[in-house]
Amino acid sequence: MDSAELQVVVGALHSSLTFREKSDRLSVVVPSDQLLSVAMKLRDSEPLSFDMLCAHTAIDWLKDEKIELIYQLYSTKHGHHLMMSVYVSRTEAVAVPSLHTVWQIAQWQEREVYDLFGICYSGHPDLRRILLEDDWKGFPLLKDYKDDFMLERPW
Amino acid sequence: MGLVTEKLPPMIEAFPGGPAVLTSIDAVINWARSNSLWPLTFGTSCCAIEVMMATGASNHDLARFGAEVARPSPRQADLLVIAGTIVKRMAPRLKTLYEQMAEPKYVIATGACAISGGPFIYESYSTIRGAHEIIPVDVYVPGCPPRPEAFFYGLLTLQKMIREGETIRKPGERRKPVLAALPPGITLEQIRAEMIQTLEQKAVVNLNG
Repeated sequence: MDSAELQVVVGALHSSLTFREKSDRLSVVVPSDQLLSVAMKLRDSEPLSFDMLCAHTAIDWLKDEKIELIYQLYSTKHGHHLMMSVYVSRTEAVAVPSLHTVWQIAQWQEREVYDLFGICYSGHPDLRRILLEDDWKGFPLLKDYKDDFMLERPW
Repeated sequence: MGLVTEKLPPMIEAFPGGPAVLTSIDAVINWARSNSLWPLTFGTSCCAIEVMMATGASNHDLARFGAEVARPSPRQADLLVIAGTIVKRMAPRLKTLYEQMAEPKYVIATGACAISGGPFIYESYSTIRGAHEIIPVDVYVPGCPPRPEAFFYGLLTLQKMIREGETIRKPGERRKPVLAALPPGITLEQIRAEMIQTLEQKAVVNLNG
């Protein structure tokens, strides 16, 4: 399925989905309360069959006070890609549902995002650090992260 | 080597003409050591492609200098080539590897990351700023990553150091670290001054103008 056909099928899943223009693959923005149901439909509906979560990462938009969660999806059956993003607030704690019930690999990928960005996923069975030491303080990929080890830029 | 380094030198030195014999033994041992440097396969990032693979392949051929027998075990290696970025989690493992290597052991730090932290020196939560913070380094090879030729120059510098610097009378004592691949006639101060000038010209962005 090419990008235009995919947009029609994905857009029919829920009324609150919006699409981004100017992207190399179809890019959909999902509200955080609809994430779990939309993800389930993306995996299970036959024309879509996104059965693989290639990557899960996040971007810290410091000025907008938002964190963007990004899910890269791929269908091994049809061979099409989809980028799904969810915006969560940076300041207030919003529960993002864990997607490990939809794609098993999400369990480790969400642990990594928790480790580096501090996103707390609700319903995650084992949410602890995966890359850094267990006693690490703070979340180093946040733009305002500082610690004693860091060397300040002199210019 | 315990027998050779501890018991043999005082025995030989007691004979007439002993010191001269000892110096000849030194020369033979150092020649052997310098021409059979077995490197440890330790690559943490892109420098490993250059230093381990490009130099080992037939085009550049590390075997010309007797350093092609890459060992996966630190117990069998003489030379630790730090090829790449050292991060906080890697640092204790690097120290363990260095301590597991048998004496005499030599260390070459290749590339900007292993020398100073390189592009990750500022505002990095994880990168160690230079391998010398973890273990002593004998030779530095600059570059990002260094060309295989630069690495060979570093290796030959280390061989020169081994041949001239060490004696079995004082095992473990070596000459000071040298900066490899510095062109003749140019001092470190000149390079520093030029770098400061270039940084001031190019790295300062005027946001108002």
